[in-house]
Amino acid sequence: MYKYVARRLLLSIPVLFLSSLIIFGLMRVMPGDALTALMGESGNVGPKELEKLRKDLGLDQPYYKQYLIWAWQMVSLNPGYSIFTNEPIEVALKKSIPVTLELATLAMIMGLCIAIPVGVLSAIRQDRASDYTGRIVAISGLSMPDFWLGTLVITFAAIWFRWMPPLGYASLWEHPWTNLQQFLLPAAVLGFRLSAATMRMTRSTLLEVLREDYVRTAWAKGLGERIIIYKHALKNALIPVITLVGGQFGTLLAGTVIVETIFALPGMGRLTVEAILFRDYPIVQTNVMLVAITLVTLNLLVDLTYAWLDPRIRYQ
Amino acid sequence: MPTDDPRPIPVRHPVTRRDFLKRAGVATVGMTPLVAAASRARASAETSSPYPDWMPPSPKPPKRGKTLVRASAWDPPVLDPRLTNSVGLFQIASLTSSRLVRYPFSDEAANTTDLTLKGDLAESWQGSPDFRVWTFKLRKGVKWHNVPPLNGRELVAQDIKFCFEAYAKEGVQSFTFQEIEGIETPDKHTVRVHLKMPNTMFPQNLAEPVSVIFPREVLEEDGDLKKRMVGTGPFILKEHTRKVRVVLTRNPDYFDTGRPYIDEYHILSTPDAATRLAAFRSGQSDIHFVASVADAGAILKTTPTAVVQEYKTVQTVFGLALAQDKPPFNDVRVRRAISMAIDRQRQVDTLYGGHGILGWGIPYFYFQDKMPTAAQLGPWWQYKPAEAKKLLAEAGHPNGFESTLFYYEYFPEMTSQVQLVQQDLKRNLNIEIKISKLDYTTFFGRYADGKWDGMAWGFKTGYATGLDEQTYQYMHSKSTKNYWRFADPVIDELVTKLRKTPDRGEQRALTKKVLEREHDQVLRMWMPYDAGFLSWQPYLRNTGSLALRRNDGYGASTLARLWIDK
Repeated sequence: MYKYVARRLLLSIPVLFLSSLIIFGLMRVMPGDALTALMGESGNVGPKELEKLRKDLGLDQPYYKQYLIWAWQMVSLNPGYSIFTNEPIEVALKKSIPVTLELATLAMIMGLCIAIPVGVLSAIRQDRASDYTGRIVAISGLSMPDFWLGTLVITFAAIWFRWMPPLGYASLWEHPWTNLQQFLLPAAVLGFRLSAATMRMTRSTLLEVLREDYVRTAWAKGLGERIIIYKHALKNALIPVITLVGGQFGTLLAGTVIVETIFALPGMGRLTVEAILFRDYPIVQTNVMLVAITLVTLNLLVDLTYAWLDPRIRYQ
Repeated sequence: MPTDDPRPIPVRHPVTRRDFLKRAGVATVGMTPLVAAASRARASAETSSPYPDWMPPSPKPPKRGKTLVRASAWDPPVLDPRLTNSVGLFQIASLTSSRLVRYPFSDEAANTTDLTLKGDLAESWQGSPDFRVWTFKLRKGVKWHNVPPLNGRELVAQDIKFCFEAYAKEGVQSFTFQEIEGIETPDKHTVRVHLKMPNTMFPQNLAEPVSVIFPREVLEEDGDLKKRMVGTGPFILKEHTRKVRVVLTRNPDYFDTGRPYIDEYHILSTPDAATRLAAFRSGQSDIHFVASVADAGAILKTTPTAVVQEYKTVQTVFGLALAQDKPPFNDVRVRRAISMAIDRQRQVDTLYGGHGILGWGIPYFYFQDKMPTAAQLGPWWQYKPAEAKKLLAEAGHPNGFESTLFYYEYFPEMTSQVQLVQQDLKRNLNIEIKISKLDYTTFFGRYADGKWDGMAWGFKTGYATGLDEQTYQYMHSKSTKNYWRFADPVIDELVTKLRKTPDRGEQRALTKKVLEREHDQVLRMWMPYDAGFLSWQPYLRNTGSLALRRNDGYGASTLARLWIDK
């Protein structure tokens, strides 16, 4: 197993290198730069001043030099400064990562709390009313985009109850109650959407497993339904579900920009999208690399989980 | 609707679990028809505004205390007024920092278009007979905020000199301040500014919201002003956490003793428009801006106690910009034909519910007393497709031509507006336009670069208030703010003469000539525009916005006079 992990980690190096090249190149291909965004609608800046400011920000260097500087910063775990705000990227990340992590975790918990029981119920009560209800809920979750559901929830909460999650992010450790109020609705919106795919996957894989010979044998042996479903069938049915959930969690960590925007949460999504819009190269590059590293790590963790779920799986 | 709204403030009753479930059920069932009804309401919006555009000051004695909260779309990346003129910065800087002179606050103004200059840091000011030297006498005892590194030291004339020289040296204000030849400070409280050319309107330029005075110490210590904003204004910047909040706290040493009235002002970063509206409806935000009369009506439907002011537009800030230094747009006949082929009234009717203006680029009160009628805008502003086609044929394009148009969507109506123009030009002149919708940075970079071909959806900056800013600074061929890329010797002569003209009546006559020339040559093809509506909670007093000075943006300094009556 250690060999397997080491090989996977070595393989991730070219993946990350290629990702860095792609993101660096894409950012440079986009027209405009941080300076023009920073200047806003002023028009008072002559070409000489612009040139001076570009030099100050290192934007006049050849691309390969800019890339090498950035690559060294990443390797030495010192990603540098935001062009746009002059803030150390480390500080920006320290502010935004906990927000996204909390939102993603809560959303995953909510999503799984809905998806697994409903998926199991749907499978064991196939083609009955509860199955149809579960499937309708799942289809609704898949059909309703985050931006629509989020806007609707916040609008009608304000109209009907004169309430909405408090604005102005509060830290979980300093103001836990306010923080919880701020995160519950967005996590529910995200969780509802995530639960749809997970519920469908749980239902279909469980249905498949329930038709396996060993399950039939278990029934024949006279084992109770609860033991057959939860001990024998569900554990095996969860392998594709774990793969799906791993991917979902990676996507959530990469940034849930729409929900963060609607609920005014200062997470990774908002940080990255704003950085893209304002051509804040160092922030975008660092964030994308972080996402790439997170996805590589999550994939590895998901693969390692298989053996725990199914002891027959061996890593070579 | 008076500022002191007599309607009672609703008492909030706690919502029980039973109530909650009942209402949630009804809400879910009611969503679809409500959404549908909202869209119908928009389509059948009234064609004129039922809201007042002028809010008289409150006659009650002001109360001290409380916190004002506003959900804001703007989140300034940096706090350096030399680097950006963005409204996000000046919603804060207008409150932390002072200018030498300023325009009246809402409780001092005689009406929304009252632009009588008032002293801010300057107690008095005087121009020399040739208007090349301006002397400003500063208030005595004005203190910088009592925070490091200033620690409440007295503001002196040297501070003004340093600040103006720094503006001239680099950054977005350099064009304005480079007209200064030299600055003298004969004593601690006198600033004498020598200009390179006469300018009777120089104090107006110093009253622009962007001409705030910043301290030498911060610039010298930090090398820039990106992170700290220290001033002499009514509020002290207590916290600036990007994407979260800005907290401004009352400056106890503000030179206007007794003011400001509120203890704190919280600006909460809220990028989504629906969330800002929800914040207003739920009482989390005290001030909210909407763009259309239908939206203003929707607010009152769900929040009947809200006070709504129509923020009447006095000029247009967007229009069709043409690369008029190149063919075919360097031919005035082509520009006139295009202008006559566009049905501006249709835009007003369909996009702004009949509530917008047809479009002109200089605030009307600088050249006449009332809003211009369609006829007053001149022959090329009338919708005459047949004549337009004839004129284009005379210019050598009987079969039209192809062109491009790039834009950034500043607000949703803009996309429809661009498409209406595209349709009009195709239908009436067979001009085929390929539209590119760009993100802000790409748009701004390309537009400001000034080397684009074809057409762009042009703009002028939102902060401009004074006549010099509106004319010389935007229209002179040598100005870096002349985005519309025209070089018209007649305009150059007129706007330069305007600077030398002290008499208000003559200024109006000259401004009218500038406008007529601009319209005759179709130098800037302004398009219809609607300013919008400001709503606020009923307990706010002295909240009104004034022409060109919205209290949530560049006109935020007026919040020094706001008080909370609850």
